[in-house]
Amino acid sequence: MMEFDAQAWVGAAAVVGAGIAIGFGAIGAAIGEGYTAALANLAVSRNPKISGDIFKNMLVGQAVAESSSIFALVVAILLLFMDMGNATMLKAAALLGAGLCMGFGAIGSGIGSGFPAAQACLGLSRQPAASARLTTNMLIGSAVCQTPAIFSLVVAFILLFMDFSAEPFNPTWAALIGAGLSTGLAAIGSGYGGGMAAGSSCEGVARQPETIGNVTTIMLVGQAVAQTPAIFGLLVSFILIFKVFPETAQIQTAMALLSAGLCTGFGGIGPGLGNGMAAEGAVRWVARNLPSAADLMRIMLVGQAVSQSTAIYALVVSLVLIFVV
Amino acid sequence: MGDLGRIHQLIISVGGQKLTFNLEVILMTWIVIAALLVFGVIISRKSGILPHTMQVVGELFVGQFYQLTEDAVGKEYVEKYAPLICSVFMFVVFSNWLGIVPHLEEPTKDLNTPLSLGIMGFVIAHYAGIRSKGFKAYAKEYFQPVFFMMPLNVIGEVAKIISISFRLFGNIMGGSIIILVITHLCFSVLLPPFLLAFFGIFVGTVQAFVFTMLTLVYISIQVK
Repeated sequence: MMEFDAQAWVGAAAVVGAGIAIGFGAIGAAIGEGYTAALANLAVSRNPKISGDIFKNMLVGQAVAESSSIFALVVAILLLFMDMGNATMLKAAALLGAGLCMGFGAIGSGIGSGFPAAQACLGLSRQPAASARLTTNMLIGSAVCQTPAIFSLVVAFILLFMDFSAEPFNPTWAALIGAGLSTGLAAIGSGYGGGMAAGSSCEGVARQPETIGNVTTIMLVGQAVAQTPAIFGLLVSFILIFKVFPETAQIQTAMALLSAGLCTGFGGIGPGLGNGMAAEGAVRWVARNLPSAADLMRIMLVGQAVSQSTAIYALVVSLVLIFVV
Repeated sequence: MGDLGRIHQLIISVGGQKLTFNLEVILMTWIVIAALLVFGVIISRKSGILPHTMQVVGELFVGQFYQLTEDAVGKEYVEKYAPLICSVFMFVVFSNWLGIVPHLEEPTKDLNTPLSLGIMGFVIAHYAGIRSKGFKAYAKEYFQPVFFMMPLNVIGEVAKIISISFRLFGNIMGGSIIILVITHLCFSVLLPPFLLAFFGIFVGTVQAFVFTMLTLVYISIQVK
């Protein structure tokens, strides 16, 4: 075994992790906020009389969309300034994993939570009387589509604060980085998809304010299903973090754990997006055709279940990689 | 900067079990409760048909939240849930605002406060669901759309607690860490008041509203 200077490596991993966390984490929220501003401009040009209200709504929506980047900034600051104490080499892997997790995890939710804010601004120009309901619906929608970013924050915190010094170095380092990648990557699709559902619900409320009860309920159900891939990612992360792996010299075991994280992570992107599209369609049409709400919801759920099957394949392969290989 | 992520704790060991008290959080929570009581007394004192300023504030506030509750759960449940929703909002918003007073800290900055509020909302929502639909119809919902989705539905429900409480915790703690770091970097010149206005008052209010509305929506999904 080579002689490592553990402290230096932990410091290096913290710096790299901080850069990754806020570098990637800055992508999503900026896109979402820009989209909100774009549609706010459109809304003002349609209905210049209420430009003040639209401006206020835009700022509130953008402040909520900013959350996921704030989470990334917090993780980056903690990585930079936290006192790690007498850390072992494993802590370096954990810190890198935390940075990766939060950086990737903030992308989808940042973009996604821009959609409801944007559609609420546009809806305000169409239906100024429904402003209170639109703002409420926007806040609920945007907050729920941040759930995947919150899962990433939870995993990043566990990786930051847990003490791994008792565990063997060889397979565990891969498990910790894999845990970060699993939740981080899986959160991209789910966050974006949840945002699509929330956006079309704001549009629906603006079209028919009295349907708000049904529209919000179907939006939440659709978002909950779209978040299932992120929950798979979280599940795999927890297994990778909390399971104790026996020490081994083989590189294959370690790579299997890393690949388990990558597998669920990438495998969750598509289903999250697809489920979001299904939910978007259902929510949009519920507002226009309330009597068929039950049919729409049933078809949405079945469609989402089918589109989710690929995430389940990825999950099964991950579990095989963790428990069999 | 080294004490970032450290908490003052009182650890008492009782019969082999460790009881941990986060002293600052308990003190701050009591300050919030006292502030709420004072606020309540000021609003309701000398109330009359010709309202004074604070009475108008209180009446507008309560009226607004009754309306929001009615939109979500319908007419028959307003009386039952609106007081809960009002108190959750007031507690969370006062907690979030407390950080702008020097030497005081937001109780919501500690995960225990949002987590217990989240668990409270979760238990109330599910109890309300069982009461209004009956246990059979309540349990049947977990087997939608297909029966083998049951474990996922259960995990999804539990994930709601995590997401609602970590959303509040992450935003408030994030705000206070950002304020701390930037104040440190700019030697407390010029910037901190604006940051406090943004993260303390604005984000604090929005997040308190989001937390309250999500609690309300989770109840409304269950009772409908």
